[in-house]
Amino acid sequence: MIEVQQLTKWYGPVLALDRINLHVPAGRIVGFLGPNGAGKTTTIRILTAFMPASAGSAKLNGHDVFSQSALVRDSIGYLPESNPLYSEMRVEEHLHHFGKLHQMPRNLRRKRIDELADHCGLSHIRRRLVGQLSKGNRQRVGIAQALLHNPPILILDEPTAGLDPTQITEIRKLITSLAGQKTILLSTHILPEAEKTCEQLVIIAAGKIVAQGTPDQLKAQVRQSARIIIELKADPLIVRDIFTKLPGVAEVQIDAMKKLPGADSRDGWCAAHITPNDPQSDIRESLGQTAQNHHWLIREMRHERASLEEYFIQITAPQSNIVAA
Amino acid sequence: MRNTLAIASRELTSFFYSPIAYVVTCLFMLLAGFFFLTVTFQPDQPAELRQLFTVIVWILIAVVPAISMRLMSEELRSGTIEPLMTSPVSDLQVIAGKWLGSLAFFILMLVPTIAYVIIIEIHADPDYGPILSGYTGLILVGGLYLAIGSFASTLTRNQIIAFILTVFTILIFTIAAALAPRFLPNSLAPVASYLNVNRQYDDFSKGLIDISNIVFFLSAIAFFLTLAVKALESRKWR
Repeated sequence: MIEVQQLTKWYGPVLALDRINLHVPAGRIVGFLGPNGAGKTTTIRILTAFMPASAGSAKLNGHDVFSQSALVRDSIGYLPESNPLYSEMRVEEHLHHFGKLHQMPRNLRRKRIDELADHCGLSHIRRRLVGQLSKGNRQRVGIAQALLHNPPILILDEPTAGLDPTQITEIRKLITSLAGQKTILLSTHILPEAEKTCEQLVIIAAGKIVAQGTPDQLKAQVRQSARIIIELKADPLIVRDIFTKLPGVAEVQIDAMKKLPGADSRDGWCAAHITPNDPQSDIRESLGQTAQNHHWLIREMRHERASLEEYFIQITAPQSNIVAA
Repeated sequence: MRNTLAIASRELTSFFYSPIAYVVTCLFMLLAGFFFLTVTFQPDQPAELRQLFTVIVWILIAVVPAISMRLMSEELRSGTIEPLMTSPVSDLQVIAGKWLGSLAFFILMLVPTIAYVIIIEIHADPDYGPILSGYTGLILVGGLYLAIGSFASTLTRNQIIAFILTVFTILIFTIAAALAPRFLPNSLAPVASYLNVNRQYDDFSKGLIDISNIVFFLSAIAFFLTLAVKALESRKWR
């Protein structure tokens, strides 16, 4: 549905996109992640035919963004980053206006606006001026506008930026309800959201694609992607010694002075952070058994999976220094 | 075509939301009213609006750029150009729509001057030929100045700069064109004369609708609107 090949963009002497390749299959929700300044919005502006590329090609729904830009614009619903709306119009008028620009006949427009008012939660603010809306409501209007003409492709640039958790959940439900019917490219740097909403993630940093895959695939690539944390009453050095020798354990780190607020002082508790050799294996049983054999008291054992944040920071770290400079 | 009209109607209604529209109309009416009283509505003056129309063409140099300055500049500044240009509309439809919307507003701004026609009708027996042709000419002059303003507006997101560029360009077509013949060689002097808007308007104020004047205005309007479309298209190449 979206095919990007060797896309390059220069802003004067600055290289913003360096030969990006991207493939979004039909009906999938793909998240486009990256630090600020990485090139997400630039890529999106090129895909929506707002801006030209310096080199390379992009095809949406089979149409080239440069030579068939009107057909591309027919096929997409776009929510820009700052969601600029005409603040002097009413919500309904705004939707009607853009419906007209998409060649929707009046009856169809009315029907769609009624449907979307329900679907996007706009029924109570249809007659309100856009300039008087809260950010969450403006975002809903922007999404309704993108969905209005029922395009096969949706491109959303930071759709949940600045929204409160309830609104974020609503928008997420809205987006996931469209999976399969529409192809969605969603750009964000809110990683938990990307994980919950998207089937596939593409990470861009400093103009280059640095990772692609499902959230689980990416998390599995984090160094120390899984860890077990045990809090034991025992001598820290002995604990480290014993655990390190266990099969299946790659690395043990001890945190000796673990103090819980309000609990009695140091008094012999320590926390062991254990990294298994194979992130997929579960070594909790052998750890628990070992502790029992040595008569160590356990007060907590938990299994920590690497988060997408850790992967994101790892994979974008070297580049983010350049971007910051 | 439907896109053009949609954009035009949106532009027209949005004029009424902005205070600029009301301020400009009031000032225009104040000036026009002042000249009506001092020039036309005096004892022994003929019952015609000809001199008033001629003055109004000069007033328009300041008034029309105030209408046109926000046409594209506002979209560029607020970012609404992004959803606009990513809808299936062409650059020509956008420019033509905005120009038509502003022209409709301009005509509405002229409507209160019908009061002057009514006043002289009450007191005398005016000749309606020159009045009608005078209004026709005013609409053409307004259309031209709006086309210049549309072009200036595509060049900058700052409305003040758009205003200034428009005024300066219009001054070239009025004052500069009037004074230039003295400094130009004989072969070029008629060119400068031809480009003088006030001269082209003259026939309209006399009651003459001459095709050559209409051609001037329509081609100048087309010229500036084309420049505006090209300026908008140039985004594709930057």
